[in-house]
Amino acid sequence: MDEKESVPGEGMNLTRRDFLKGVGIGGGALVLFGQFGVHSAAWALSGEPALKMVLVDYAKCTGCRTCETACSSRNRPASVGGKEFPGLGNPRYANIRVHGFNPDVDVPVVCAMCADTPCVQACPVEPEPKTGRRALYRDPATRTIRNDVDRCLGCRSCAGACAAKRTGTITPNPETGKPERICTLCGGDPQCVKRCPFGAMSYSRSGVTGNSTASGLIK
Amino acid sequence: MSGKAGYHGKILNIDLSSGKSETMAIPREDLDLFVGGQGLGMKILWDRLKKPGVDPLSPDNLLIFMPGPFSGFPVPSSSRTCVVTKSPITAPLKSDYPHASTVTYSNMGGFFGPEIRFAGYDGLVVTGKARVLSYLVIDDGKVEIREATKFKGMRTDAFDKAFPAELGDRSFKTVYIGPAGENLVPYSSILHTAGRAAGRGGAGCVMGSKNLKAIAVRGSGQPGVADHARFLAALEKARSALYGTAYAKSWAEQGTARAIVGNSNAGTESVRNYREGTFPEADKIGGDAARRDVWVKDIACYCCPLACKKSGVTKGKYGGVVHDGPEYETGVMLGSNLMISDMPGLLKAITTLDDLGLDQISTGNVIGFLMEAYEKEMVDRKFLDGIDLKWGSVDATLAMIEKIAARDGVGRLAAKGVAALSRQIGQGSGKFAIQVKGLELAAHNIQANQPRGLSYATASRGACHMSGDNIPMQNRRAMLDSTGMCFFPTFEPALEEPMLALLSAITGREYDKAEFEKTGERIFNLEKMFNYREGFRREDDRLPDRFFEDAFTVGPRKGAVLDLAKFEAMLTQYYKDRGWDPETTKPGAAKLKELGLDLK
Repeated sequence: MDEKESVPGEGMNLTRRDFLKGVGIGGGALVLFGQFGVHSAAWALSGEPALKMVLVDYAKCTGCRTCETACSSRNRPASVGGKEFPGLGNPRYANIRVHGFNPDVDVPVVCAMCADTPCVQACPVEPEPKTGRRALYRDPATRTIRNDVDRCLGCRSCAGACAAKRTGTITPNPETGKPERICTLCGGDPQCVKRCPFGAMSYSRSGVTGNSTASGLIK
Repeated sequence: MSGKAGYHGKILNIDLSSGKSETMAIPREDLDLFVGGQGLGMKILWDRLKKPGVDPLSPDNLLIFMPGPFSGFPVPSSSRTCVVTKSPITAPLKSDYPHASTVTYSNMGGFFGPEIRFAGYDGLVVTGKARVLSYLVIDDGKVEIREATKFKGMRTDAFDKAFPAELGDRSFKTVYIGPAGENLVPYSSILHTAGRAAGRGGAGCVMGSKNLKAIAVRGSGQPGVADHARFLAALEKARSALYGTAYAKSWAEQGTARAIVGNSNAGTESVRNYREGTFPEADKIGGDAARRDVWVKDIACYCCPLACKKSGVTKGKYGGVVHDGPEYETGVMLGSNLMISDMPGLLKAITTLDDLGLDQISTGNVIGFLMEAYEKEMVDRKFLDGIDLKWGSVDATLAMIEKIAARDGVGRLAAKGVAALSRQIGQGSGKFAIQVKGLELAAHNIQANQPRGLSYATASRGACHMSGDNIPMQNRRAMLDSTGMCFFPTFEPALEEPMLALLSAITGREYDKAEFEKTGERIFNLEKMFNYREGFRREDDRLPDRFFEDAFTVGPRKGAVLDLAKFEAMLTQYYKDRGWDPETTKPGAAKLKELGLDLK
């Protein structure tokens, strides 16, 4: 891997060296890079048009978990007196998760919006003839992954594929088996990015940068 | 259930003797009057230890883990857990009860308190004693006590790494003790995330006496709030008060370590067992040096925009991973107080103390006392099991730390603290045994800081630097430590109004500055009532003679020393202003009635 290679993204210039410097206080750090540090790398190679997504600067993350509460607040609104309000931020309902380790390394994990969507590929639901969509599909407008809960079987195949091939973000609901924790981008204003006190996250344009060698990161 | 907004209205009781656990409703009135955290913990202890003189290490003592009404909500810096129990290290000079001691409350950051609330409780109360070393798993409503004998003697860093595998899930938040707590060292700490501790007052010792190695908590719930829209609006303001400010950045830059140089320059640092207030080599162990040579990452507690915790690496003979430090208390107590200026050596001592589960402050104080006694030839090398305990010696310090945690040889006596050590050694060593009520002083020296002397003398848990330098400060802090919010963001004046609005919106009880302070006064008085019942009197609010006799010989405050007559006059005025009897310190009936504390 090139020492100077950037992870693509607007306003982000996180080199491999910075990353290792940032989290490189324990033996687990290298493994983590391979597991979670690929966010937009697949898009860079996909030939698809650029899209905007949530990127994490691991070196700036302090592990405070404010992003979890902000995500939950937006994506799990509360109904009070018949009116809808942002929720109270119970992290149980967050789509983003910060994983903490010893020595201190904190890894926010958010849906990578993979170009080749192993989760969607794994969905066994027969595609709808009109739209060609399985239960799990990519939203053409936002390019987020969405689940049609009415057609979803709760078979956990998507979560299995995500865990085996990517970051393991998708988590089956313990009771229904239906996928949870898929990033919604909060309607174009991701709350995790907005609320992070440390500027560790950005909502960035991702796509072909012309000189990416990120393929080395993808299994 | 109390049905009170902002709370679950229940605590979880776990009796380790019978193995049974049950939830217990908290009276609504107690939530209004004592709030949570330090206050509600105190009320539970007061109600359930009715008889004075309960042995702190007996199954009867309560080990109480308290979040507050902010806990579990994304309120900035509301990460704290207050551990309340009857202290195993404090004692009055005279008492009718052989096991008399103060209340103690030890406050730590991290993720544990919020998780208790996610699990559906406003607090955990542990009583009894497990038959064998055990750990407790609380998964929402499911509570299990499991055997932990295979972890016996395991140090906290190794345990922190091993425990998630044992639990089979990383999402549990855990607290645990090290070998020191298992060995019943009276100033043992309780650790969380390997680098955060409820250190002061010996809560880890009480946990050890219950044969409890660890607690794991996980939950999926959250209490409701009284006024949802007001909560959201105030949350927005609280964030604005801190996010991106120079104030927050300053904490992220150096944490409390900035004060290692700052307080040395002000002549208010504990140096050479409190003999001096200035350490000429402070810059070698201060924040700038640590930022340059040690720190790799800034770490924050739950929803905190300050990130004052620092982790890093050191190289060389003492090299290794540092979970936290130096911060002010640890850097001074193991650094300038022992005349240690070698940064990797200092951090090795700090890391070892957390690893063994010892309170950094008391241990640094004990070793400083022994270094002085050794220098003055009051103890010899044989007494110290061959350890050449010279000022500034990292190796000797590390050797003493291991002795204390194991309660081996000289460690048996040193583990009891400086009060016990000076009684044993005699020869006038009580003058420099730096403790009040049996608890060692912290890293703030007071020859040039009389108000902080008041904090040490009158704090409910013994010599506490956090209690507050005057009555309003003491009241506000007792209240703050009952809410679940950290002390550090509250120096920012812009936070006060949204913080009060958040507390009001969550609980449905209207808090302004006056009500906030009044509630704290009630809590502080209940602590005093507990201590008074145990037999603590005015003579127990006495500072060691050093502060009235040994003027500083170096630094900008050279010549500074406290005046005993002035200090006593200040204390007399303090008791009067408190509404307490200045001779006995008994809280007056009028004051107690005013505070709603005319309890039977």
